[in-house]
Amino acid sequence: MSETASTHAEVTSTGIPSGTLGMWLFLASEVMFFSGLIGAYIVLRASLPTWPHPGEELSIPLAAFNTFILLSSSMTMALGVAAVSHADLKKLRLFLLLTIALGSAFLCVKGYEYSIKFAHGHFPGTNIFFDCYFMLTGFHGIHVLAGIITNLWVLSLTYRKDFLQRKSHLVNLSGLYWHFVDLVWIFLFPLLYLI
Amino acid sequence: MTTYKKYLLIWVWLIALLAAGTFISSLPISKTHAVLLILFISLTKAGLVCLFYMHMKSEKLVPIWVVAIFPFFLIGLAAALVLLGPLCFS
Repeated sequence: MSETASTHAEVTSTGIPSGTLGMWLFLASEVMFFSGLIGAYIVLRASLPTWPHPGEELSIPLAAFNTFILLSSSMTMALGVAAVSHADLKKLRLFLLLTIALGSAFLCVKGYEYSIKFAHGHFPGTNIFFDCYFMLTGFHGIHVLAGIITNLWVLSLTYRKDFLQRKSHLVNLSGLYWHFVDLVWIFLFPLLYLI
Repeated sequence: MTTYKKYLLIWVWLIALLAAGTFISSLPISKTHAVLLILFISLTKAGLVCLFYMHMKSEKLVPIWVVAIFPFFLIGLAAALVLLGPLCFS
C-alpha cells in the first residue's frame, strides 16, 4: 500500500481514519472561528436599541437566490462523493465541475450585491449593521473561495492514473469542507437577511 | 432508492425549506414567532445537510457529534439573544 493510502486508511483510536479525523478537527476550529464572529454579531445587535430591518438595507430575493445556488452546490458535491464511491470518474469530474461553477456563481452574485452596496455609499465602517454584514459575508466568501480552489485541485488530481487507488479519499474530505461552508451560510442567511 | 435519488430528494427538501423560511419572513406575524419559525427551519436544513450530505447518519461516532452539536447550541443562543436581547441589555 502506498504511503498516502496507508496514512488515510490508518484507523485512529477513535475508530475514524486519520484523514477524516483531521478534517473534523479542522472543522471544529472553523466552528469556533465562526462562533466568535456570529457571537459578536448577536451581542452587538442585541445591545443596540434599534436595528435596521434587513429587508430595507439588503436584497432578500438576491440572497435567497444565492442560498439556492449554494444548496445546489452541496447537492452536486454529495453526488460527486457518491460517484467516487462507485469509481465513476466521469461523473465525479462532472459533479466537481458543477460544484466549482455553482460556488463561483455564488461569489459573483455576492460581488454584485457588494457593488450595489458600494454604489449606495455603504462600506465597512459606515455603521455597525454594515460592519457586521461585510465581516460575516466577507469571511464566508473567503471560505467559499478556498473550497473552490480545493475542488479545482482535487479535480486536477482525478486525471492521475492512480487517483482511485491513492487519492479518492480527498473527494470525501473536500466534500466535508464544502458542506461545512454551506452549513455556515444556512445560519448566516436568516441571521443577516430574514430576522 | 439509489444514493443519487436520495441526494436529489434531500435537495428538494432543502429548497422547499428555503422557500418556506423566506416566505415566513414576509408574513405579518409577530417577530417572536417569525424568529422561532425561521431558526427552526434553519436547524432542519442544517440537520439534513449534516445527516445525509456529511454522512453523519451512518457515522455513529461521538467526536463528530460533539463538533456537530455546537452550532445547534449557537443557534439557540442566537434565538435567545435576539428575542430577549432588548430585555437583557436595556
